[in-house]
Amino acid sequence: MSVRIAPEPVVVDELITETAGRLFGELCTHEAVQAAEDSGGAPDIWEAFCETGFDLIAVPEEAGGSGGTLAEAIEVLRLVGYHSAPIPAAENGILGGWLLAQAGLERPDGLVTVVPPRAADGGWSGGETCSVSLNGDGTAVLSGEAHRVPWARSAETVVCVCEFDGTSTVVSVPASECTITPLPNMAGEPRDTVSFDGATGRAAPAPHGVDADALAQRGALSRVALMAGAIEKMCQLTVSYTNERVQFGRPVARFQAVQQHLVWAAQDAALVRMAAEVAAREATRGDAPFEIAAAKLVANQAAARATKACHQAHGAMGMTQEYPLHHFSRRLWSWRKEYGSDAHWSAVLGQMATGVGADGLYPLITSGTAALA
Amino acid sequence: MLTADGIRAALDGLLERRTDQTRLTSMGAGSDDLDDGRAYLAATVEGGWHVPTWPSAHGGRDASVAENQLIGSVLREYVVPDLYPFAIGLGMVGPALLAHGTAEQQERWLRPIASGAEIWCQMFSEPEAGSDLANVALSAERDGDVWRLGGQKTWTSRAMWSKWAICLARTDPEQPKHKGLTMFVIAMDAHGVDVRPLRQMNNDAHFSEVFVDDAVVSDAWRVGDVGEGWRVAMTILSHERAGAGSRGGGDGAKRGSRVPTWIADLAALGALDDPVGSHTVRRDEAMSIYAADMASRWTAQRAADEARSGGSPGPAGSGAKLRTVSSYKRRAFLANRAAGAAGMLEDGHGYIETVTAPSMSIRGGTDEIQRNILGERVLGLPGEPRLDRDVPWRESRKGLL
Repeated sequence: MSVRIAPEPVVVDELITETAGRLFGELCTHEAVQAAEDSGGAPDIWEAFCETGFDLIAVPEEAGGSGGTLAEAIEVLRLVGYHSAPIPAAENGILGGWLLAQAGLERPDGLVTVVPPRAADGGWSGGETCSVSLNGDGTAVLSGEAHRVPWARSAETVVCVCEFDGTSTVVSVPASECTITPLPNMAGEPRDTVSFDGATGRAAPAPHGVDADALAQRGALSRVALMAGAIEKMCQLTVSYTNERVQFGRPVARFQAVQQHLVWAAQDAALVRMAAEVAAREATRGDAPFEIAAAKLVANQAAARATKACHQAHGAMGMTQEYPLHHFSRRLWSWRKEYGSDAHWSAVLGQMATGVGADGLYPLITSGTAALA
Repeated sequence: MLTADGIRAALDGLLERRTDQTRLTSMGAGSDDLDDGRAYLAATVEGGWHVPTWPSAHGGRDASVAENQLIGSVLREYVVPDLYPFAIGLGMVGPALLAHGTAEQQERWLRPIASGAEIWCQMFSEPEAGSDLANVALSAERDGDVWRLGGQKTWTSRAMWSKWAICLARTDPEQPKHKGLTMFVIAMDAHGVDVRPLRQMNNDAHFSEVFVDDAVVSDAWRVGDVGEGWRVAMTILSHERAGAGSRGGGDGAKRGSRVPTWIADLAALGALDDPVGSHTVRRDEAMSIYAADMASRWTAQRAADEARSGGSPGPAGSGAKLRTVSSYKRRAFLANRAAGAAGMLEDGHGYIETVTAPSMSIRGGTDEIQRNILGERVLGLPGEPRLDRDVPWRESRKGLL
């Protein structure tokens, strides 16, 4: 008789949720978020965030990080999204910090950002024109341009994954070696153009399993977590507002037409939160390409539906800058395009489904990545 | 006899022909330009080309419905700028003055609307009167030959550009809410009128709060009878819906080309190239929007013709508005999706349309209000319970439930 052993549960310490939630709740006021958008950064919020050690959560302590699991880092990102905290939490920690630690490269002081990798279909490449040449002494010279690099203007270090002689290589370049052109995304978050022309940095081969695909998955997971938080908060704002706003002698939330919007938003919030938690749990245990692909697709589609529903239920108030709804809707419209669009992740899921064949489809849906082995 | 070639002969000297390269803003999104619209209206007012059915004495040319339709179709061959700043005067106040205004009012106000000299806004919504427009509280009290107005309006589009506003005010709080209303024209530079623009999420500041503190309006500036304000407002709003239906397009096919500019733009991005794979979805969506647009345009045309032939555009306008804004939103989101990751940047394709799109199904009456109108007036469905119908507004204003 064979006994199936349940995998160990992945538990997120409640203290993390409480501490990060309280920190962002105090610092990320509507005015502070708006000010960060106008000035292109929020160094004070970033500094307070770093003091808690959350900036390097899930980066191993021996690599200069704070330790903790990926699931815990994802929980912090969910709260970043929930409070629209204007900080590069994902880039500095579970993306940049992870790449440097995996490649055994030294982590310099200051903010680290990451060049989004190239997708196989070319649809969302950030560094499409970059190339690298390695010198024997562990230094590397980068040329070309990388686009939509988060918070590059504030970073000390730019990290990217390049192919060199068929080997994935992690390259770490001081931002001072690069020319950085500021560009905002729809939400006013920095998504800058980085021109490398001859920038010199350190390079190290990436271990097995660390490559552009792995970075793409981790990046997608980070966006799902941010989106889960943003949709949840957007939904709560909408429920509150429609219960306060009186028209025709009653709160508008008492009208079925408005209630339908609220139900859509609430369903989407629950759906994305669940997708984020399942993907984070599986990614904490090991590879989770199926769960992450499914989660990003679910989050992208939910973002489109939920932003429509929440804006419609708010009426004109939601279109003004003085009311906070736009902090969430504009971020969602931006994040759904980062680390893979609907089309990209649909194609990835489609390939997995056709790969396992008709008999493998149901096991893939019920068991996820485990069914791909 | 007016012919298409005759119209072209007249317009060629006044306007530029549209080309494949012509790109215009839509519904004012992302633009504060007044000059292009003003130059266009100034050029066309002598011939009465933009509002052909208006009297020739007031900037029109006494055109019949058929002539008006012909002129409209020929005008599409020319560069007609985004007339968003002028739209209230041209599309709503003008028709309302023709229907309800005195000869003196028509003489004073119509031509400067047609020539672009004077911009109008509509002071309707208030903090407590949005979808529930009949709940307006801004009061007007008679004082001899004048009225004294006081209160607050909000979401007043174009207020900071406007010389005049058409303003819905409460003249008798003892009447039920739809009955104690009267329509006035108010000068935006009058003493006691304070305009404070609100910035929107797309970074435009096209609508404002307007505070009115003991502003004086002559009784000669009252539009329609005392207590008839709701009827005048309904005329204006039905024109607003029909207008949004007929103009919200962003379409721009030049003569001889059947391809609208938004599809040409998608094609230029390479977003429609691949007959298989992910592009198929975009082709499918683009064709679905195009088909819906054509049906919508013809319906809007029908509603507009009914309006111009003297009748009110009626509930057909609500349907047109629903379809047109749905199409605007679908086009915006498709364009943005087609741009890929670059579309998330502020300089990306479809950016301004994407952050403007949600407002389309809210402004000028939400989708929910439009559907209610269709349900009650077109389909004859039972109305919403209206507890406040026969109750003095003073008692019903805070809600009866």
